[in-house]
Amino acid sequence: MGIVFTRLFSSVFGNKEARILVLGLDNAGKTTILYRLQMGEVVSTIPTIGFNVETVQYNNIKFQVWDLGGQTSIRPYWRCYFPNTQAVIYVVDSSDTDRIGVAKEEFHAILEEEELKGAMVLIFANKQDLPGALDDAAVTEALELHKIKSRQWAIFKTCAVKGEGLFEGLDWLSNTLKSGSG
Amino acid sequence: MSNYSAGLGKPGSGKRRLKDLLNQPDNRVCADCGASDPKWASTNIGVFICLKCCGVHRSLGTHISKVLSVTLDEWSEEEVDSMIEIGGNASANSIYEAFVPDTCSKPGPDVSHDQRMRFIRAKYELQEFLKPSLRIKSGKRSTKSSAFLTSSLSRKIMDSFKSNSSSQKMEGMVEFIGLLKVTVKKGTNLAIRDLMSSDPYVVLNLGKQKLQTTVVNSNLNPVWNQELMLSVPESYGPVKLQVYDYDTFSADDIMGEADIDIQPLITSAMAFGDPEMFGDMQIGKWLKSHDNPLIDDSIINIVDGKVKQEVQIKLQNVECGELELEMEWLPLDQ
Repeated sequence: MGIVFTRLFSSVFGNKEARILVLGLDNAGKTTILYRLQMGEVVSTIPTIGFNVETVQYNNIKFQVWDLGGQTSIRPYWRCYFPNTQAVIYVVDSSDTDRIGVAKEEFHAILEEEELKGAMVLIFANKQDLPGALDDAAVTEALELHKIKSRQWAIFKTCAVKGEGLFEGLDWLSNTLKSGSG
Repeated sequence: MSNYSAGLGKPGSGKRRLKDLLNQPDNRVCADCGASDPKWASTNIGVFICLKCCGVHRSLGTHISKVLSVTLDEWSEEEVDSMIEIGGNASANSIYEAFVPDTCSKPGPDVSHDQRMRFIRAKYELQEFLKPSLRIKSGKRSTKSSAFLTSSLSRKIMDSFKSNSSSQKMEGMVEFIGLLKVTVKKGTNLAIRDLMSSDPYVVLNLGKQKLQTTVVNSNLNPVWNQELMLSVPESYGPVKLQVYDYDTFSADDIMGEADIDIQPLITSAMAFGDPEMFGDMQIGKWLKSHDNPLIDDSIINIVDGKVKQEVQIKLQNVECGELELEMEWLPLDQ
């Protein structure tokens, strides 16, 4: 009952909260994206051997954004953060074509997680500024996004160091969350 | 998702060959700034580097430098082979730092991010310190072939970094030290919260993490046998455990709680190191006292190469109820 009440209450006042996980292989650009969204700045990052968490207020939604480390042995930790997650932002280094296959496997493993069944998925085809970067259509194909069933998803071309594409993605997220499925 | 054993892994032959290479004297310091004990590597360039230099390498893009952690990443045999073939930091630097001009001295471990960035870019991306003959032919070297073509593009990215350099910050990262696997086994003689019985479930909290078991309907002696996985950050407190009675039409009622001290488990595990080196043995104890919920001393054991602890607790702030757990510690080796 309590939950129903707060939902009603907050939608009347146009304020919602959403828990977002930012996932992806190491060096995809997750931390850079988090701080570009939160502070509007490019920070110099080192590998995240754990997590960063920040709140980003956008379109009347308070996003609690969790950026989890992407190294192979950190990936099992992602699971600890799955419960109560409304959306996953999956970040891909579009220029790292050698590892796009690994990125695809991790991505589909996430989609199979029971606790993320209700989560919508936003894919950032990041590092569009680097030579040889695959565009959104190529990343869609490489990640086999057409296999996604009964889930809302979208892909955006992004360049985190220039801030391009990130807020377009958040627009999609906030609109989709507001349209009731959140 | 990768399974647990992969990441927290057993050293395969590749891993061992890599460790041997890392133990070579020239690889005990970062190839770029001289910081001691580097734990990262650029697999295409063939150097071992420190965390800070790793941050710079990553920002150049994988067409310049492909970075892996020696301890946190899985390596393919080819990646290990390529590192061994290059031969380590001294050998790589004899090429990449063949002619470092006096005007551009090599940075030390504590230089600013900007200085570090400038040196690493000059060294690998622009390749300004190669032997002059190599500089001309460098297009032939496969590891570097794309660097010249793309340097102007990358320069733009770097400029975008520089323009922000005044406001650059290293934000606070919470580091993991390991995973705690808690198996919630069963409850005994739990409190009644409905007419005759309760619909109990267990909630575990550690920091901002909250995990819960399923609800067992109408049962005061529920068996869950459910595994819950918590990530443990560097500074951690106790695991806060609560038992609730699930109600459809009203707020769930509390059926007791307890603080689980995980420090004995983690400190004794760390004191012993790799548990696979030991046979089954007792390595520590969480002692029963008047201010903790233990029913009995809780023993920490190595069992089949794993660090485990059986915990039996009396729930607090409630009329009755006991709970049985097993905890296992999975360290993150860095």
